[in-house]
Amino acid sequence: MAPENHTATLPTPLLVEDEQERGYGHVLPLIDGNKTYSQVTEEVFSTTERMPPLKWWLALSVSLSLFLLGAWAVTQTVTRGIGTWGLNRTVGWAFDITNFVFWVGIGHAGTLISAILFLFRQRWRTSINRAAEAMTIFAVMCAGTFPIIHMGRPWLAFWATPYPNTRGPLWVNFKSPLLWDVFAISTYFIISLTFWYLGMVPDLATMRDRAKTKIRKAIFSIFSLGWNGSNRTWSRYETVYMLLAGLSTPLVISVHTIVSMDFATSVIPGWHATIFPPYFVAGAVFSGFAMVLTLMIIARNVMDLEEYITVRHLEAMTKVIIATGMIVGMAYGTEFFMAWYSGNDFERYVFLNRALGPFKWAYWSMVTCNVVIPQLFWIRKVRTTPWMIFILSIFVNIGMWFERFVIIVTSLHRDYLPSSWAMYTPTFVEVAIFLGSFGLFFTCFLIFTRLLPVIAASEVKGVLKHEEH
Amino acid sequence: MHVWKSLGERRGLIKKTKAEFSDELPVGESVRQISRRDFFRFSSLGFIAGLAVSCKSKTVEKALPYLNAQEGLTPGVAQWYATTCQGCSAGCGALARSRDGRPVKLEGNPDHPLNRGGLCAIGQAQTRGLYDPARLKQSRMRGEDCTWKALDADLVARFAEIKGRGGKVRVLGGTLLSPTLKATIQDFLGGFKDGKLVTYDALSCAAIPAAYELTHGRKVLPHYRIEEADFILGIEADFLGTWIDPAGFTRAYASRRGPDNPRPMSKHVQAEAGMSLTGSNADERLRLAPSEIVPFLEALASALGSGNSAGDLRKELSTRAKQLAHELGEHRGASLLLCGANDLHAQLLTARINHLLGNEGRTVDLARPSLQKQGDDRALADLIEEMGETRVDVVIVVGANPVYDLPAAFTAAFAKVSVRVSLALTEDETAKLCTHLAPDHHWLEAWSDAEPALGTLSLIQPLTNPLLHTRQVLESFLTWSGQAQAVLDHLRAHWRKDVFPRQKAVADFEVFWNGVLQKGAVQLEGSPASPIYREPLAPSLRAWNGVRAGNYELLLVAKVGMGDGRHAFNPWLQELPDPITKITWDNYISVSPAAAKGLGLEQGDLAALRPQGHPELTLPVVVQPGQDDRTLAVALGYGRREGAPKGWKIVGTNVYPWRSLASGFLAATPAALQIRKAGGRAELAATQDHHSLEGRELVREMALATYLRDPASARPHEQPGPSAYAAHPHGKHRWAMVIDMNKCTGCSGCVIGCQVENNIPVVGREEVAKKREMHWLRIDRYYEGSEADPKVFHQPMMCQQCDNAPCENVCPVLATVHSEEGLNQQVYNRCVGTRYCANNCPYKVRRFNWWEYPHASEVERLALNPDVTVRSRGVMEKCSFCVQRLMTAKIQAKNEGRELKDGEALPACMQSCPAQAMVFGDVQDPDSQISHAMRDPKRFLVLGELGIGPAVSYLTKIRNAESIEAQGGHHGA
Repeated sequence: MAPENHTATLPTPLLVEDEQERGYGHVLPLIDGNKTYSQVTEEVFSTTERMPPLKWWLALSVSLSLFLLGAWAVTQTVTRGIGTWGLNRTVGWAFDITNFVFWVGIGHAGTLISAILFLFRQRWRTSINRAAEAMTIFAVMCAGTFPIIHMGRPWLAFWATPYPNTRGPLWVNFKSPLLWDVFAISTYFIISLTFWYLGMVPDLATMRDRAKTKIRKAIFSIFSLGWNGSNRTWSRYETVYMLLAGLSTPLVISVHTIVSMDFATSVIPGWHATIFPPYFVAGAVFSGFAMVLTLMIIARNVMDLEEYITVRHLEAMTKVIIATGMIVGMAYGTEFFMAWYSGNDFERYVFLNRALGPFKWAYWSMVTCNVVIPQLFWIRKVRTTPWMIFILSIFVNIGMWFERFVIIVTSLHRDYLPSSWAMYTPTFVEVAIFLGSFGLFFTCFLIFTRLLPVIAASEVKGVLKHEEH
Repeated sequence: MHVWKSLGERRGLIKKTKAEFSDELPVGESVRQISRRDFFRFSSLGFIAGLAVSCKSKTVEKALPYLNAQEGLTPGVAQWYATTCQGCSAGCGALARSRDGRPVKLEGNPDHPLNRGGLCAIGQAQTRGLYDPARLKQSRMRGEDCTWKALDADLVARFAEIKGRGGKVRVLGGTLLSPTLKATIQDFLGGFKDGKLVTYDALSCAAIPAAYELTHGRKVLPHYRIEEADFILGIEADFLGTWIDPAGFTRAYASRRGPDNPRPMSKHVQAEAGMSLTGSNADERLRLAPSEIVPFLEALASALGSGNSAGDLRKELSTRAKQLAHELGEHRGASLLLCGANDLHAQLLTARINHLLGNEGRTVDLARPSLQKQGDDRALADLIEEMGETRVDVVIVVGANPVYDLPAAFTAAFAKVSVRVSLALTEDETAKLCTHLAPDHHWLEAWSDAEPALGTLSLIQPLTNPLLHTRQVLESFLTWSGQAQAVLDHLRAHWRKDVFPRQKAVADFEVFWNGVLQKGAVQLEGSPASPIYREPLAPSLRAWNGVRAGNYELLLVAKVGMGDGRHAFNPWLQELPDPITKITWDNYISVSPAAAKGLGLEQGDLAALRPQGHPELTLPVVVQPGQDDRTLAVALGYGRREGAPKGWKIVGTNVYPWRSLASGFLAATPAALQIRKAGGRAELAATQDHHSLEGRELVREMALATYLRDPASARPHEQPGPSAYAAHPHGKHRWAMVIDMNKCTGCSGCVIGCQVENNIPVVGREEVAKKREMHWLRIDRYYEGSEADPKVFHQPMMCQQCDNAPCENVCPVLATVHSEEGLNQQVYNRCVGTRYCANNCPYKVRRFNWWEYPHASEVERLALNPDVTVRSRGVMEKCSFCVQRLMTAKIQAKNEGRELKDGEALPACMQSCPAQAMVFGDVQDPDSQISHAMRDPKRFLVLGELGIGPAVSYLTKIRNAESIEAQGGHHGA
C-alpha cells in the first residue's frame, strides 16, 4: 500500500502574511529550487529511511571516540576525586563551570529561533528551527553534566533538589544561585524538549505514514499522538505551539540571567556586577547563533540541504551575530568603565589583571574573537560566503568559551587577599571532559540527523512559493 | 606507612592506598563509608592495642592526672597530664591530652615558669614521633635483632673487660635536660678509670659559656630575661624562632610588645644577614653580613667606652653602631644585647657590652643560668681527636645524631671505636654505624625530669605504656652499671636526695613530689650567687681575622619547623610553611634580590654552592627580600636519609658538612664561596607566592608615638553597607576572637596545634605546590617597602566566622550554616562539594578534600583526635573555632551545674600560642576578656567594608618608632 501522505499535501497556513507583501521576497527566496510539496517530503524524510553514508559513519566514529574519552575522564574524576583536575584552594572552578556556561549559552539560539522568531513572524526560521532546537536540547544535556560532575561527591547530587525526605528540617538553600540553576536548567530542558517534540508531531505523522515496517509504524504512531491532519488538529496544534512559544520566550532571558547570578550575587570582584544578566543573555545568543551557523553550514553541505538552508538564512544569522557581538563588546567596555568609576581598588585590580595579568592571553583571545573578528560581517561578501561564515563562527565559539573562562578564572585567581593568589593550569582530565562534551553533543546530533527530520517539513511547506501551481 | 608515598608521588599514592585499603581494611567500595566506620574501628583498635600492650608490662606504675584526679578512666573522656616537652632542648612545660590510653595532643603548660602556656610548632608536633612507624621495635646487635638480655650480657661483658684494662668510655649526648639522667650517666662512667660525658648541640651556642668562663670565671649560658628589657638589640640571634628557648623567649618578648601595657613597649632592633623570624618582627632591622658581626660589636663596645673599634666597617654601619650604643646606654640595666654567632670573639664582646650596660643580674641572669644548651664544642673536638687516634673503646650516643650533623671528621673517627652504642629511637645515620642499638622510649612513654634553667625543674610522666620493645635510657644506664632499680623509684630517689633538699616550702617529700607531678614544674627558691665580671680574666681580644674570603659569605641557619633536623621525618613539620618564605618540604639557598640579579638567578633555579674545601651541593634558589647582598643563607636540618619510614623521599639537602670545628666552635668556616647556576629548575612548594599587599588595607600599622598621642585615632572609620538579609539571632554565647598583631610573631605554633587538634591531613610536596595545602589556619606574610629592606607583617588567617557569611548564602544544600553561637558551621556529611563556598570566601580559608587523604598506617592513625571527624574526599572543611573544645568545656560546666567561665573554652591555636597573641571568648559576657579586647581602639576587621561581619578581628600593629614613613596602603601616621 502506497503511503497516502495526506498530511503533507495540506498547505499549512501557519503564517498568514505573504512574504512579498512584507518586502522580503525580492531579496532571496526562503527555499531554493522551486520545490513541490512531495519533493520536500521526499528530500527531508528519505534520509531517515536509508542507511547513512560513509561520511556519516566517519563523523560518528570521531564524535563517539571523543565522547568515550570524556567518559573515561569523568570516570577518573568520580573514582579518584576532583584532585585529578587542576583546581586549587584559590581557583575552585575553572573548566567545569566554564563549560557549563558555554553549553547553556549555546542552547539559547535554538530557543530564540524557535520561540522568539516565531512570535515575531520571522518566517526564515522554518528551515533551521528543528535543528536549532535539537542543538538546544543536546547543548543543555552537555551543560547539565558539568554541575553534577564538578561536585566533590556527585553521587549525592540529588540533594540539590527539594524532595520530601526523612531528614527533618534539612532542605535546600533557596538563597543559593546554584539552586536557582537547578530549577532554571531543568525547566529549560523540559520546556525545550516539549516544544521540540510538539513541533515535530506533524512530521512524525508523515514518517508514520511513510513507514514500511510494522515496528517503525508502531513507534511513529505512538509518537505522532494520533495526528490525522484534520483542520481541528491543525488548529489545536497551532494554538499549543503558540502557547509554548510564549512560555519559552521568557526562558531565553531567564536561564542565562540565573546562570549569570551564580557570579553576580557573589562577593568576588569581577563577578559581583549588575551588568551580568543582560550581558550573559546577549553573549548566549551570540554564541548560540555562532554554533547554529557552524552546525548548519556543515549539515547543509554534508546532507545536501543547500536549497533548504540557503544563504539568506545564513546571512540573517550573521546579522544577529554582529548585533549581539557588539552588545557583548559594549559590555566588556562597560565593565572596565564601572571598575574605574566605582573607585573600588579590588574591582580595578581585577580588570587590570584581566587585561595585563598572567591570563591576558585568554582575555585578548576573547576580545579578538568576540569583538574584532565579527566586524568582518559588515562586508556583504563575508556574510554571503558560507565558508567564510563558518570560519568566523568558529572564532565566535572560541571567543565565547574564553569569555566564560576569563570571567571565572581571572576573577578567582587573584581576589581579595594577595596571600592566596594562585595560578590555574588545566589537567588532561579536564581537557578530556571538555572534548568529551563535544563528543556527546555531536554524537547526539548525528544520530538525530538520521532518525528524525532535520528540516521542519510541514513548516517549510508553508513558506514555499506556489506561483507555478 | 604509605602516607609517605603520597608525599612522593600523588598518582602513585592514590593507587597504592586504594590497594592498601582493600587489603588491610575490609571497607566497602563506597568512599562514603570510610570515615565513620574506620574511625570507630581504629579508635577501638587503639584502645584494645593500649590494653594489650599494658598486659605485657612487668611493673605497674601509676600516673597522676593533672589537677582533677579521677578514679579510673571514663572511656571517651580526655585526661590531661602535665609533662615536659622533649622536642628540643628548651624543655618547655607541656600538658598532654590522653584519650583512652593514647596521647593525642600536646599543649603548653600555663604553670611552667619558662613557657607559661606556650608551645612551639615542634613541640606540638611531638605526638607524631610516638607513632612514628620507623621507630626501632627492639634492641639490635651488629645489624641483627636481639633480646635485651643478650644485648646487656654482651655490653656488660665488654664493659667489664674495658674496666679491667682501664680503657676509655665516652657518652656522647645532645643537651641532657634531665638531672637524674646526667647523674646516672656520671654514676655509670664513674665505674671506669676514664669515663667522660661529652655534650654538644647541633645548633651550638658553646661560644657563650666559653666566653663567660673567660669573663666571669664560670661556664654558664645566661638566662636572658627578655621581659625585663626595654631595648633589645639582636645580632644574628633568631631568639623568637630557633635560638635556645624560642617559646619562652617569645612569651617574654610578646609581654612587652603592646602599647597599652603598664610597662613601656620594648624597642627591638635586629641586625642580621638573612631574614629571620625574629628580624621580621623587629621595629628596625639592619643588614649585617656574618663577617661584620665582630667589627660591629667592637664599634658598639668602643662607643660605650671600651676598647678601640677595628674600623673595618662600612660607614653606615659604624654610624648606626654609635646611635645604637647611645640608645642602649639610655636604657642601662634594661637593655639587652643578644648575639647568636657561635664565635668566641663575638660572645666575649657581647658579654662585655652587656656588662658595660649594667644588664647583668637584670636582663642577663647569670645566677640562675639556662641549661638549655649544654654543648661543649671543645670537648667535642677533643673527643674526635681521641677517637681518631683509636684511644676510645666505647662511645654511647644519647639524644644526638653526630654522623648526620657533625663534620665528616667525626664519622671517620667514630668508625675507629670498637663498641659503638646508639640509644636513638630510630635507626638514624649514627645508629646505622653503631654496633649496639638500645632504642629509648619515646618521652611520652617514659618517666624522667628536666631542669631547663637552674632551679626550674619539671617532671616527665608516661602517658602510655611503651608501644614497642624499647627501654628507657635511664634504665639502660642503670642496668649497665648493675643497679636493678625501677626507673620511677630511681627518679624519686634522686629527687628525694638532690631536689627536695633544695627547697624549704614543703616539708614532706610525698607532698612535694605529688605537687610537682600535678603542676608539672617547680621553681626552687633561693638564689645562688651570681658570678662577677672580672676584667683581668677577660683576655685582650686579638685582632679579628674573620674577614670574608670571597664575594659571598655563607650563613647557616635553622628553620622554625625543622630545627636541627631531628624531627625531619615528621610530616606535620615538613609541611609547615616557613614563617618567612612560606616554602614547605625543602631547604634552599636564600639570596638577596640584588645578588640574584647579579648572579642571573631566579626563584626556583638550581644553583651549585661550594665553600672552599667542602663538597659542592645543588639547591634551589629563593630570592629573599631583606637579605644581606653578600650573604647566601642555607637552612640546616634537611637531607636526612636514615631512620625514615618506608617510602620516604629525601627532603632537601644536608649542609651540615659545610660546618667545621676550625674556630674551636661549630660554625660555617669563612671560606671562599663558589656559586654557579646548575641549570634546571626545582618546583618549590610554597603556600604563598605573592608577597605584596598591593596597597590594600589588610593590615594596619601605626607609630608608637602617634598612637600614644591619641589612641582613639587608631580606630578605623569603615562603615559596612546594609545587608539584604536579617541579622542572625544569637543564643547564650557568641564566640569571637581578637588577634593582637603586636604580639603575634608568626612562629606558626598555632598552625601545627590546629593541624593536630583537627586531624588535618598532610598532602605532600606536589600537592602543596599545586596550592592544595589543607591547613585551616595559615599565617599570611606580607612585605612592604623596598625589596632591600622590607617591613614584614604576619597575619594569622583562619575562618573569620562571618556573621553574614558569603559562604552560607551560596551553598545549595545548606552544608554550611550559622549557629546561634555565631559559628559558621561546616556540615561534612551534608556537603556535596560544589566549592561555591570556597570561591565566594573573600579570605580563601576554606579547604577542599581533593583526594581521599590517607591517614597513614594504623600506628600513625593512633595520633588522630577521636573528637574530630576525619573528612572524606569531596567535602569542604575549614576552621570551626575548635567547636569540639567549646562543646567539651560547655558539657563540663553543665555537668558541674555552673555557668561556663571566661577562658575555659579555648581553641587549640590560642591555647598554645607562645605569644598569647589571641583572645577568644564570649562577647555576650560584657566582662570577658574578649569583650574588653573588642573595645580596643586598635581593633580592625580584615575586609570589614564588605559588610560580612567577621567574628575575628585584629589589633593594629604598633611600631616602636616616631613615625612610619609614608607608603601606600597602610593606616596611621
